[in-house]
Amino acid sequence: MRAMRLHGRDGIDAMKLEEVELSVPGPGEAQIAVHAAGVNFGDTLMVTGQYQEKPDLPFSPGMEAAGEVIALGDGVDNIKVGDRVMGSIGFGGFAEEANVPAANLTQVPDDMDWATASAFPVAYGTSHVALTYRSHLKSGEVLLVHGAAGGVGLTAVELGKEMGATVIATAGSDDKVALAKTYGADYGINYSSEDIREKVLEYTGGADVVYDPVGGDAFKASLRCINFEGRIIIIGFASGEVPQIPTNYPLVKCFTVDGFVWGAYHRNKIDVIHDGYAGLREIWAKGVLKPHISKRFPLAETGDAMRFLLARKSTGKVVIETRV
Amino acid sequence: MRSIRVSNFGGVDALTLEDIPPPVAGPGEVRIKVHVGGVNFPDLLMSEGKYQHKPEMPFTPGLEAAGVVIDVGEGVTCFKPGERVMGFFDYGAFAEEAVIAEKFLMHVPDGMDWEMAGGFCLTHTTSHAALVHERVNLKAGEVLLVHGAAGGVGTTAVQIGKALGCTVVATAGSDEKAQFALDNGADFAINYTTEEIRTRVKELVGGADVVYDPVSGDAFTQSLRCINFEGRIIIIGFASGTIANAPANYVLVKNISIVGFPVGSYRRISPEILQRSYAGLTEMWDAGHLKPQQSHAFSLADTSEAIKALRDRKAMGKVIIKVRDGE
Repeated sequence: MRAMRLHGRDGIDAMKLEEVELSVPGPGEAQIAVHAAGVNFGDTLMVTGQYQEKPDLPFSPGMEAAGEVIALGDGVDNIKVGDRVMGSIGFGGFAEEANVPAANLTQVPDDMDWATASAFPVAYGTSHVALTYRSHLKSGEVLLVHGAAGGVGLTAVELGKEMGATVIATAGSDDKVALAKTYGADYGINYSSEDIREKVLEYTGGADVVYDPVGGDAFKASLRCINFEGRIIIIGFASGEVPQIPTNYPLVKCFTVDGFVWGAYHRNKIDVIHDGYAGLREIWAKGVLKPHISKRFPLAETGDAMRFLLARKSTGKVVIETRV
Repeated sequence: MRSIRVSNFGGVDALTLEDIPPPVAGPGEVRIKVHVGGVNFPDLLMSEGKYQHKPEMPFTPGLEAAGVVIDVGEGVTCFKPGERVMGFFDYGAFAEEAVIAEKFLMHVPDGMDWEMAGGFCLTHTTSHAALVHERVNLKAGEVLLVHGAAGGVGTTAVQIGKALGCTVVATAGSDEKAQFALDNGADFAINYTTEEIRTRVKELVGGADVVYDPVSGDAFTQSLRCINFEGRIIIIGFASGTIANAPANYVLVKNISIVGFPVGSYRRISPEILQRSYAGLTEMWDAGHLKPQQSHAFSLADTSEAIKALRDRKAMGKVIIKVRDGE
């Protein structure tokens, strides 16, 4: 089978398409025929060794994938051969086949295509668990979503609306703000030309929950427009700037800052991950979700896909189709 | 009646003892004959004009007290003259008589003396309300790390943490204070002037699930390094004088929560949070989980000295004002 591989942690350019013999799946593993794989920011870190998880060399990156189960290792009882599955798999998705932790996988709904399934777990899983389990977003509350046109941001907008919140979307251009609005945002703020705090106070008087995959100035603005008993969920630092949280702010204004790493729940509390998938399955069945894939690349162009993501030109998700 | 007064924001030394007309209980209010008042950090801030809430001057400071009901205003249903009560005041407790809204008052449970009752409502309520709040939700079997564990709120957090079924690790600034925390029920104590908090917490219990932090500064920074997955750090105050920063990448990678808990704001905006804790604390007292606190007593005339003892971190346990001393 063909796989994109790295023999060192030397970055995107060092990745090569190779013919590889895959071993039989180990205990707890499923072997899947990968049909599509989602590209994530974490992949771009893993290829340079900057990600927490450092797979043994050589390895194939690709932390999110969808495919068909073709073999099972010992002790797997949550899926069977022939199932269509998707999930966060750690690494190995940028290949035609992969051995992945079976406990992480969930069934793909019958009416979801491969590309959509490969773009679904991380973006929707992160936003769903963040907004329900982690921050208890309630109907009628105001949700402020930073980076609202990005992979996780768009799903937070959709799920926030589905949960009955008023959603304010921030993004770095008018086009991106417009996209967030087509996904249901009630208000949009272009932070390259407008002041986030000022506009939030004007539109809704403040925010109850802030979903923040951006950090930097967006985070600082959130500190100044958050409501009593508000919650700021830190998802990531797409701006490249890691803010400092002055601890007198949460005390005086009475709010909470929650760090949320969806991936870490696979190790620590896998039930939370699957409760999230169950909730998402119900919402998917209503037909209200419109997963947004901005660009698709063939396996051989995985490097270009990563560069496209890093250039912050993409909206929604970028996907590798391994079998086209 | 005699009352402590703040007439300018000149700090504790500018407090005066004056003879003023007694207050009157308006609708929904209760007038009490104060026996004991409790001293708290906000008293210091209020005397300097640094507290969020700035009453119009001149005013009587003091946020908690216990005494006997003298009379009640229109519409008061839960209290009658002669009953022993205690409450969490807006201000006005450091005087021979004080007025408080009925909703912030509770009956003194059987067997609790004036010394404990006078310093009960703010400190115990702060710790109880914070630890059971949905954003913290401290559960039996979890590890609770209490900074400033020999101080006013810290002491109550240790007792309430034990009553809730937790393993409690206490930190304090001297061997004497560490021993005091152990005597108060803590399972382990760390003297942070001679031991590193992070290293000791990891050795003793592996890590903390909830951190109760009225101290900040280095104690906060150390907490970030010994907190468990899904841990919660409750910001109560900054007794160290240093307001710590939390690097957002730590908060993210460790999947933890930084929870601000301003009890004064809850009192104003969500009084039901206080009332729930009043009920919970009465149950804990009746079940024998809350021990009388060691306290440092001062007379009403020495209120300035009492606040300074707190400010200078000389006090162990609760600093109280015996308003009726000598009667």
